[in-house]
Amino acid sequence: MNSRILVIEDNPANLELMVYLLDAYGYQTMTANDGLGGLALARRERPDLIICDVHLPGLNGYGMIAILKSEPALASIPVIAVTALAMVGDREKLLTAGFDGYISKPVEPERFVGVIEQFLRSSHAGASEPGRAPHFPQ
Amino acid sequence: MDFNELVLQEIPDAVVVLTPEGRIAHWTRGAEQVFGYDSMEAGGQLLHELLVPQEHHAEEARYLSLLKQAGICSYESVRRTKSGSLIHVDVSNKAIHAQDGSLDYVLSSQKDVTELKVRRDAKLLEARFRDLLECMPDGIVMSNATGHIVLANSQAQRLFGYEAHELLGLPVDCLLRDRTQEPREQREGRFKPADSNATGAGLAFHALRKDGREIPVEVSIGRVQTEEGPLLMSAIRDITERRRIELALHEKNIELKKANLAKDHFLAGMSHELRTPLNAIIGFTGTLLMRLPGPLTQDQDKQLRTIQHSAKHLLSLINDLLDLARIESGKVRLHVEAVSLSSLVNGVIDTIAPLARQKDLLVQPDVPERDIVFRTDSRAVSQILLNLINNAVKFTERGRIHVRLRELESTGTRKAVISVRDSGIGIRDEDKTRLFEAFSQVDAGSTRRYEGTGLGLYLSRKLAALLGAELSFASTYGEGSLFTLALPEHPQ
Repeated sequence: MNSRILVIEDNPANLELMVYLLDAYGYQTMTANDGLGGLALARRERPDLIICDVHLPGLNGYGMIAILKSEPALASIPVIAVTALAMVGDREKLLTAGFDGYISKPVEPERFVGVIEQFLRSSHAGASEPGRAPHFPQ
Repeated sequence: MDFNELVLQEIPDAVVVLTPEGRIAHWTRGAEQVFGYDSMEAGGQLLHELLVPQEHHAEEARYLSLLKQAGICSYESVRRTKSGSLIHVDVSNKAIHAQDGSLDYVLSSQKDVTELKVRRDAKLLEARFRDLLECMPDGIVMSNATGHIVLANSQAQRLFGYEAHELLGLPVDCLLRDRTQEPREQREGRFKPADSNATGAGLAFHALRKDGREIPVEVSIGRVQTEEGPLLMSAIRDITERRRIELALHEKNIELKKANLAKDHFLAGMSHELRTPLNAIIGFTGTLLMRLPGPLTQDQDKQLRTIQHSAKHLLSLINDLLDLARIESGKVRLHVEAVSLSSLVNGVIDTIAPLARQKDLLVQPDVPERDIVFRTDSRAVSQILLNLINNAVKFTERGRIHVRLRELESTGTRKAVISVRDSGIGIRDEDKTRLFEAFSQVDAGSTRRYEGTGLGLYLSRKLAALLGAELSFASTYGEGSLFTLALPEHPQ
């Protein structure tokens, strides 16, 4: 069974990119455009991993992680922050806030899925096999 | 008609009978009018305690002993009335002896000569100082011991809106208000020469004009000694214009601060806005090149790489420009903390590793056994080091890049040195001066082989300056370059 991943991102192009990459590697994706929608979806669907843009309108990434980690049913789901900041101090800030990891923007398509899979493997929910990307002759 | 009674009660001057100790035994209506106290209040009091200002006590004692010797004594002095104001008095004392020759009473007649004194002082000053004071640019007001104006030059007349004769005899207190709201007693003492705090320069007051208007003025007060006694000279300057300019400057400052804040918000927002579209460009050229949607022809592959390459270049340009804007606007604040320099160096090398691998270059760290922990801003140091090693990789075709970290021996502030040595193309002598300039690329031109924004070293030097560090280099064209960052520890 392939892992189910929730992606919360307000920019359509960014969302499309991440979903496309995850789909291509065989993951089931569900999406939300803002924090509140993402929370509702997380509570209902209990995904195996959550990818969350830090810079969201309304309830932003930091608000989200606080709520996610405070609800016992959701606290064990790994949450990865996607952020345009990627400076030395910010990394600590994200980890202290409760994020399990971070990916910096612009997303590097070649590495994106690999990084996500690391977090899937290390979480106790991620006992699934990593998806295989379709290979086309070059 | 009892003329004795008439004279005693109706005489306008103060007539007082004192005991030998100086206590008031009889107090006329004239004394009431001159000094303000009625006979109930005055009776039994020590005269010198009631009426004589502190600074004149010694004087009074001398005159009393003179009276006891000579039997009569006449002199001029200063008295304080019940209302607190000072007046000049002409004193005539006579000793009244008992039959056995001992002193029975002192008869004291005291005439208020304040106005007379003002006129006398004015006459003296007029003759002596008028011409000189007319030459002064400021308004000059001279006042005597009782705080009354005895001379005012035309500038002062204009400033206060009074005629010369109107100012004469006016208490200076009526002209100048101290806006720091001193209690009345202190204000009273302000313009009296006897007050040690009277003099001063650049004092802020408000001038009270005849027409009721108040204007801000700056006052300098000095003491002048004359044969008629001490006087105070106040030089008064209208600073309305200056205050107006100060206010305008203050408001401009506030405006500037607001504009700066707006600019910072703009920069922060713009940073996010500018980078967002690049996500899509870099991302999807990436997925296409990964052949996830399908196979690519050779031309499609080549063209996509070109797009992606340009997008990445654009991204680094934007990052550099925004860094630059932040540094130039002085908005970069250092975040100083204890930093492991060895970890920092290794971390930066790890970041560069993929790029170096692509060119088959080795970036070799050389850090000491014992970790060097320094108080500094790790982001700034990382950025500089990243730039230096990036350059080294960029301009080197083969060989190694050595990154060396050492702490210098020093007695004062601790100092660390990080150096990057490469075996690249080196820098020509004529290019050395332009090296740290913004947008200067050593091989600029249409045949440019090496990509870059031309801002790296410029930014690095700015950052180094913020850290109090020094960025220097040595290079031989064709052989390689050595860039050195001398970093002092940040003070506590």
